[in-house]
Amino acid sequence: MSQHILASDGPPAPAPTAPSGFRQLLLGLLVGVGVGVVLIGWLGSAGRGATVRGAERQSGIVHLSALVDLVHEAQAAGEEVGPRVAAYVAASDEVKSARVVDLKARQLVADAGADATTEPLPMRLQRQDPNHKAWYDLGQGLRAAVEANTEEGRLWKEEIDVEPAAGDGMVLAAPLTMDGEVGGVVIVEVAVPAPALSSPWPMALAFLGGALVLFALVGWPLRGRRRVLQWLALAVAVAALAGFTVTMLGLLGADRATAEEAVAAQVAHAQQIFSRGAPELPPADAARWDVDRFRQPRGMIQAGHVDAKHLAEALAPVKARFTKVFGALGLLALLLGAFFGLGGAQRLGHTLVRYREAYLFVLPAMLGMLFLVFFPFLYGITLSFTSQTIYNLDEPIYDIWVGIDNYVDILSDFDLVTRSEGESTWNYQNFYWTLGFTIIWTVTNVTIGVSVGLFLALILNTKGLAFRPLYRVLLILPWAVPNYITALIWKGMFHQQFGVINQVIQIFGGSPVAWFDSPLTSFATVLATNGWLSFPFMMVVSLGALQSIPSDLYEAARVDGASRWQQFRLVTLPSLKPALVPAVILSVVWTFNMFNIIYLVSEGQPGGATEILITDAYKIAFEQYRYGYAAAYATVIFVILLIYGTWQNRVTRASEGV
Amino acid sequence: MSRGKDEFPHWPLHLFLMLMVGVTIYPILWVFTVAFSGQQNLAFVDLPPDPGVLDRLRAILPWPETVTVSNFVSVFSDQPFARWMLNSIVVAAATTVVGVFLACTAGYAFSRFRFPGQRAGLMSFLVSQMFPGVLTLVPLYIIIVQWLGLGSSYIGLILVYSTTAIPFCVWMLKGYFDTIPKELEESALMDGASTLTIFTRIILPLAKPAVAVTALFSFMTAWNEFILALTFLDNERMYTAPVGLRFFVGGFAEQQWGYFAAGSIVAAVPVVVLFMFLQKYLISGLTAGAVKG
Amino acid sequence: MPLKTPSLKTLKTALLTALCAGLLAPSALFAQTELVIWHAYRGAEKDAFEKVVAEFNTVMKAKKVTAKTLAVPYDAYADKISAAVPRGKGPDVFIYAQDRLGGWVEAGKTVEPIDFFLDDATEKRFIPSTMDALTYQGTLYGLPVNFKVVTMIYNKKLVQKPPTTSGELVATAKKLTDAAAGRFGLAYAYTDFYYHAALMNAFGGGVFDASRQPVMNQSANVKSFELLLKWLDQDKILPAEPSVALITNLFNEGRAGIVFSGPWFLGEIKDSIDYGLAPMPKLDEAGGAPLKPWVTVEGAFIAEPSQHKDEAWEFISFLTGDRGARIMAVEGRQTVANKKIYDDPAVQKDPILQAFRKQVESAVPMPNYAEMTMMWSPATTAMNTVVKGTASPKAALDRAEEEVAERIKNLRK
Repeated sequence: MSQHILASDGPPAPAPTAPSGFRQLLLGLLVGVGVGVVLIGWLGSAGRGATVRGAERQSGIVHLSALVDLVHEAQAAGEEVGPRVAAYVAASDEVKSARVVDLKARQLVADAGADATTEPLPMRLQRQDPNHKAWYDLGQGLRAAVEANTEEGRLWKEEIDVEPAAGDGMVLAAPLTMDGEVGGVVIVEVAVPAPALSSPWPMALAFLGGALVLFALVGWPLRGRRRVLQWLALAVAVAALAGFTVTMLGLLGADRATAEEAVAAQVAHAQQIFSRGAPELPPADAARWDVDRFRQPRGMIQAGHVDAKHLAEALAPVKARFTKVFGALGLLALLLGAFFGLGGAQRLGHTLVRYREAYLFVLPAMLGMLFLVFFPFLYGITLSFTSQTIYNLDEPIYDIWVGIDNYVDILSDFDLVTRSEGESTWNYQNFYWTLGFTIIWTVTNVTIGVSVGLFLALILNTKGLAFRPLYRVLLILPWAVPNYITALIWKGMFHQQFGVINQVIQIFGGSPVAWFDSPLTSFATVLATNGWLSFPFMMVVSLGALQSIPSDLYEAARVDGASRWQQFRLVTLPSLKPALVPAVILSVVWTFNMFNIIYLVSEGQPGGATEILITDAYKIAFEQYRYGYAAAYATVIFVILLIYGTWQNRVTRASEGV
Repeated sequence: MSRGKDEFPHWPLHLFLMLMVGVTIYPILWVFTVAFSGQQNLAFVDLPPDPGVLDRLRAILPWPETVTVSNFVSVFSDQPFARWMLNSIVVAAATTVVGVFLACTAGYAFSRFRFPGQRAGLMSFLVSQMFPGVLTLVPLYIIIVQWLGLGSSYIGLILVYSTTAIPFCVWMLKGYFDTIPKELEESALMDGASTLTIFTRIILPLAKPAVAVTALFSFMTAWNEFILALTFLDNERMYTAPVGLRFFVGGFAEQQWGYFAAGSIVAAVPVVVLFMFLQKYLISGLTAGAVKG
Repeated sequence: MPLKTPSLKTLKTALLTALCAGLLAPSALFAQTELVIWHAYRGAEKDAFEKVVAEFNTVMKAKKVTAKTLAVPYDAYADKISAAVPRGKGPDVFIYAQDRLGGWVEAGKTVEPIDFFLDDATEKRFIPSTMDALTYQGTLYGLPVNFKVVTMIYNKKLVQKPPTTSGELVATAKKLTDAAAGRFGLAYAYTDFYYHAALMNAFGGGVFDASRQPVMNQSANVKSFELLLKWLDQDKILPAEPSVALITNLFNEGRAGIVFSGPWFLGEIKDSIDYGLAPMPKLDEAGGAPLKPWVTVEGAFIAEPSQHKDEAWEFISFLTGDRGARIMAVEGRQTVANKKIYDDPAVQKDPILQAFRKQVESAVPMPNYAEMTMMWSPATTAMNTVVKGTASPKAALDRAEEEVAERIKNLRK
């Protein structure tokens, strides 16, 4: 029970420091370098695997392109497509099967390979055959992609489809142009035997062992000198991780070169089959079959061999990316190692045991928060660094990673004033306008909510006041009735001609106001609605908090001759603070993100002047489908609130000290 | 306690309170008007040509042309609304129990223990509320439905709702616990009571007002939520009342505002009942005697 | 095959085999395919839909296919589909309007293309524009269940003869309008771009060109704004701030002679109001071209991750086929997309369904591109600024075009 405030109110005693710096550093080195090489080795292996699969895919694309050419030639010559395709498949070990589908006629024009149909070709596609539907849909998808690229006038959607096959290998498909438009599809299944990759683990073990031995040998004589030892451990760890990184990068480069050579071999192979299958055709320029997924030539293979300069160019960005990632992983591992090496882990363990009772009390609530609040939070932050939209949902996260671009975009929008027809007007779409409005919205709302709520609570706390329970129940009703309908009732009350408010104004001889026409009156509508909705909560919180004030405090104050106002200022307010401050902070946070009221009542009118940041973020995500950008927007909101929260907390703490 | 000389008369307070009640319930009276009108229109004022002041006064008076309960009858007969209300009560009650329990333990630890990470932990509860909720639908769906498989179960909803409610509850309770004098626990500690006993026997009974507030708050968090409930639940019989209410409006279909208003009033009843039950704790808090005893 | 009396032995063997099969593979023997179907119907539509599902289940009993429905409130229905379906947790079939189709196709793993299942007979079953609405980039993704379109609804007590041209419309409306007394000849949610589209389409305008690029500020659209301004400012036949709820109120109190609205409006009309439906008038200003509202089509879509696509197709073709569509029309009062139903005696004498059937002949499918959702808010802003008189139609539309183009550029990066 030593940590209970009642037993020891002072700061916790520092955990005992470890006696031997050397052994601890050795442990740190083991953990740091160990975790580092495992992470780097694991990710590097994944990268190498991707390189190999890339080569396989590229070989597949070469054969696919060759077959597309073959079909085109056959159609131009008015010959049957089926036998030629069958001959090609028969001649190649890598191509397991090939199909050609005519989309308009809904026919299978060619079908060659292991499980080819025995029916005479061309045959009509069968509804019962799930494969037939898959092929047809694949073709239609590629046709749509080609058309979309034509409409957009740029390479936007991939025109070659690659998917893993049921067994080994992959299935590739390319559109077939007939009479000037996409009318068919060629689908091939390709399995290129993958070269066996050398395992990185012996190398990893060597670096780890080397680092430990080196540190032990050099460090043992220096074991009395803590500082020197720490620097030594760091140097050894950095050297080991850097060495392993360079080794992995070297392997990656070598793998890629081998892979490209394998593609070059497949190009030669394809050319051979092609000219054997169609000797009367002009010899094909095989290198043009080596295209990317937009069907654009890669130019990697010149005269049957890999172009060294091109390969180096292609490798550079890959290596740069891996260097960055390896560096980040290495840094992470070093931090972990330092945590162990400098005794942090031990201290943490110690702390956990020592304060276990407190942690046990907090744990259940924390666990829930961890899973259900911090995961979505991390998900959002990660997303905010990508350019994810509805068009690239399938792409892996590193392909759409844009760093801080979204943030720069949001924060660098200083276009506050627009000029049209010679007039300058506020640009209500501007981020800073919206931010300014959001802040005004939040401050006014919370002020109204807190002051009205607190004031009512104080009145309702008057001893001996009649009908108190009735008042209380009636006053919480805005909180109790679902706000979807009450918000819309409020909106109706503000209608220009048929709203209650303007009727009241007219009773008193005024003229009706078009509430949603100017930013100020439109703001008044949402403020009234939200103020009405939010004061009951504050009232209930204040009522609860008021009960914590012992009545003898007031008696004492009265004895001292304090006036009502003085009692309020010197007794009530300070006693309310512990409960009220968090309620105010949370109110600010909730109001800042109060989506419903704006969305339902003012709808941002006029012209988006009364949008707040969260309604903007919602629109970006659900109307503009820019998920990455919306996540960045949300993160900006989060950071603004975080700054506010920290500031508020500091102010409160400072005043506590007084 | 008698009204001393420094107590001012109560009638200005009543006057003010009646004014506030008037403003507060006026829009709700319109909800009642729509609900009891038997019609489906959202209310707008209805004026004769060239209206006088009296016409206008009649127009702003929330009272339907004809009073009928047909909307209420339809809400219960056309839809399994009673069932949905029951579901909502189950979910909200469970949320309240789980939320208040977790918040009490955590709030007590934050108030009475000193431990490393205390401030950070307390702050993290606040911070968790700062990330905009509208955009967390997909990650929550991934956790609850895809990973935990709690799609068509109330457990998923209860988990999410209680964690939504916890931060406020923890802060509220921590603040309240802070105001409870430590002398009480000190003497108990001397007598050899365990932390748990102190917590349940001394602290919780004294903190009833704060517990009441947090309970009401947790209940409301679960009671009105509709998007997550709609997204997670795959069985009509399991829907909650707010989900059911939304059947009446929205989309390219007839807008049944009368049913919606009637349903909203029905949905507000449990909240009011709960508040009536809890409000006795909001007026009988700490007294000097309690501290000394 | 000739019938034979089975010998005891064969019977025994058969029994034994069945028993073994039953023990070894109970799932195979009692294989039940359960189709899950999501929809957003309520009231009569829901009852009719449940009836179609029940009939489907009877028909498919032999094949051991049963369909089970889940009603989802419309407000977050699309979000539920987007969250659940791509993760394989959704239904086999869902019913939704075409406006989200493009987004779902682009997002992937949501809707299944059904061109492949489609045969000529099925294709010819539907009103052509309803099929267009469910076609995205040349591929059909759903079968049309019903369509919803705005038409002219008038109070028979106030309007004896529904106007057929815009000239007649304005003349009739002017006679009925007394703005100070809150009476209007014509009332519709004209600041809502969805309702305004009828004017825009009449002039041959639109929001996207054939290659999916935005053309918000094309001259036809400007002309349509100018016509609206004329009705509003010169003819003064329209109420201010025309929310949908207000329009309902005006019509129910006999304060609006003519309303442009869709089938959803009819259920909200008070019993005491005697109303009629007529096709929207022709515009003299657009060379006699009729007002062409946007059609929204509810499609029955097969979910891409569904394990029972063949059965799902059976269901959607039953639902939209003669038997299903007839129930949806007669009992659900839906304006079904199946052409033949309108010749059915029960439907033939239904003036409402026939009126919408007539209106859909001069109507344009609302674009189903993903980019459609980002058009609404700039368009609404443009409408509001023009109506308030703070910008000219051309300037407002230029601004909207700029904004939409910018958003599309950012999206299609």
